[in-house]
Amino acid sequence: MARFQNKKKKVFVKPIVQKKPGNVDHVTGDKIPKSFVFSRGKLPGPLRQLQMDLRKLMLPFTALNLKEKKRNNLKDFLNVAGPMGVTHFLILSKTDAAPYLKVARTPQGPTLTFKINEYSLASDVAQSQLRPRCPKDLFKNSPLIVLSGFGTGEQHLKLTTIMFQNIFPAIDVNTVKLSSCQRIVLLNYNKETKLVDFRHYSIRLQPIGVSRRIRKFVQNHQVPDLRNLQDVSDFVTKAGYGSESEADEEAATVALASDLGRVNKASSKSAVRLQEIGPRMTLQLMKVEEGLCTGGVIFSEYGYGAEKKPDKQEATREDEENDQDEDEDAREDDDEMEEDTEDGEED
Amino acid sequence: MPAIVEGATISEAGRVLKKRKMGNKSRKAKKKVKVFQGSGEKVKIDRKTKKLFRKRAREYNSDDDDDAGKSALDKNRNAAPVFDDRRNSEADELNEEPQVSDDEDEDEDNEVLPAITKFAEGCRAFRAAFKSIIKKSASDDVLGPILSGQKKLVAQKLAEEESEKKLKGEVKKEKHLVAEKGHVKPANYLDAHEKFLIGVATKGVVKLFNAVNKAQNAQKGLNPSSSKDAKAIKKRRKEAFFTALGKPSASMTGSSAKVNALTDGVGSEPPSWAPLRDNYMLTNSKLKDWDKMQETPMEEDVGKISEGSSSDDD
Repeated sequence: MARFQNKKKKVFVKPIVQKKPGNVDHVTGDKIPKSFVFSRGKLPGPLRQLQMDLRKLMLPFTALNLKEKKRNNLKDFLNVAGPMGVTHFLILSKTDAAPYLKVARTPQGPTLTFKINEYSLASDVAQSQLRPRCPKDLFKNSPLIVLSGFGTGEQHLKLTTIMFQNIFPAIDVNTVKLSSCQRIVLLNYNKETKLVDFRHYSIRLQPIGVSRRIRKFVQNHQVPDLRNLQDVSDFVTKAGYGSESEADEEAATVALASDLGRVNKASSKSAVRLQEIGPRMTLQLMKVEEGLCTGGVIFSEYGYGAEKKPDKQEATREDEENDQDEDEDAREDDDEMEEDTEDGEED
Repeated sequence: MPAIVEGATISEAGRVLKKRKMGNKSRKAKKKVKVFQGSGEKVKIDRKTKKLFRKRAREYNSDDDDDAGKSALDKNRNAAPVFDDRRNSEADELNEEPQVSDDEDEDEDNEVLPAITKFAEGCRAFRAAFKSIIKKSASDDVLGPILSGQKKLVAQKLAEEESEKKLKGEVKKEKHLVAEKGHVKPANYLDAHEKFLIGVATKGVVKLFNAVNKAQNAQKGLNPSSSKDAKAIKKRRKEAFFTALGKPSASMTGSSAKVNALTDGVGSEPPSWAPLRDNYMLTNSKLKDWDKMQETPMEEDVGKISEGSSSDDD
């Protein structure tokens, strides 16, 4: 009899509903930005591949296998984005002139429209390298982001920096683990050409002042080939051929806060090595809109004369997506940030 | 027609004349006629003709793109020798008419003989030709069995198809080009621009790592769980932060105000703050870190700012 009672009780015990960890970092408690990468319209093969590469780049907090259909419009994605806590959209599209990349914050703008002047896929980059590198846990952590050359004081560039800084989770210097810093995304603005170079590198740390042989020996756990040596000590003392990049600049050396892997000890200095892992893009900022692909044009590459054109687009688009309140659009970024947090908390 | 000219020049017995004339006219017609007129050993001749036909057929197939005017006649002869024969005999008649006016006594024989033979030969020739056509295997033909009259048409069709294919290919190529627009294969070596970019990225990484090193070295050896150490940590972090900023304390008031605003905002909405969530302890097994978390709202901003400083825009 007692058994039955026990069973009954067990039935009523509900497992604690584990709400998704959601949009908040456990350690620091701040909001984790999440992203969707998708396309509008039909993309040709290479661009679809580029979309996949971008998803991989955004990885830990993005939908890698996001399925999209022809009939999905922007509103569908927006509706899903709310409950999922998605904060950024990367939208690829294609015209006869060139492919385009739109970067937008989700509930309400702003939207940056980039023209992709040139691009190379991750596979292209890997093919161009002698030894492409892809450790297993490369995509387990979000990349660092480095923005350079954006400090010209122009308004739209400032907006771009803010946008891209917030697209990846912020790093707390005091708690961050160096082992989680595996990748870096670089955006370099060229003042003369007004082009943004978008690169994606993997970070590797190597101890300085250790010959290549010994480093490999420690890393690989393999018995070294001693056939050609007279004595065991030769293995340590013989320099081998020092690679020309080995004697490198002082600028790329770091003292580590903690041990990293088997080779990089906190006590010794390490060199930072970057190796490209695609995709590679050359972007040109064409337009900044207040809303999510709608709203007033804050900036246009073609100057003020072009403002008439976007107006036309606006009219047509507003027919499609009827209610994007303009007063909401007019709010500034900071307000949006706070509002986002509020939204998240309501969830 | 070369036959007319030759016919005029020759004035011999009809048979001879005919043979000769045929010989000069064209090889194909000549041999055929010769064979049928003899008509003694059928089997042998048949074999020969078969061989000949085959050979001609092959020859014809090998060059199917000859000009139409010449080929039309050839085709007719080749495929249907019967008609050929008839035409030849007709031509003979035409040729020999002027000869009649020259020497009439001989001409009468000549006139009659071809007329008779024409009929008889026609039958045989038709049979032979028909047989040969039926026995002919069509396998060696590229186009399959085709009526000779249609050959021209078929050739035309083929040409059309080819041109269509070409057009389609061009369209496809164009489409492919449009699809590949902007797609660039990177070079195998690092050019100056790439090196520069890598340098920039490396600088950023080094800056960040150094900042991390500084910040985490500051709190080394201190136990964050004890309140006394926690205070010390706070102080050190603040110092490290401002040294990293490299700015006078005047500007610090503004930033600190910002920090306060942010912390206030977080405070009013507790669930966004991880430690206050219901499932916080359940998911995080390290209890001893609990105290450390409390400070984070303050530090979070530090992290952001230092990140910003690593991005060369200040």
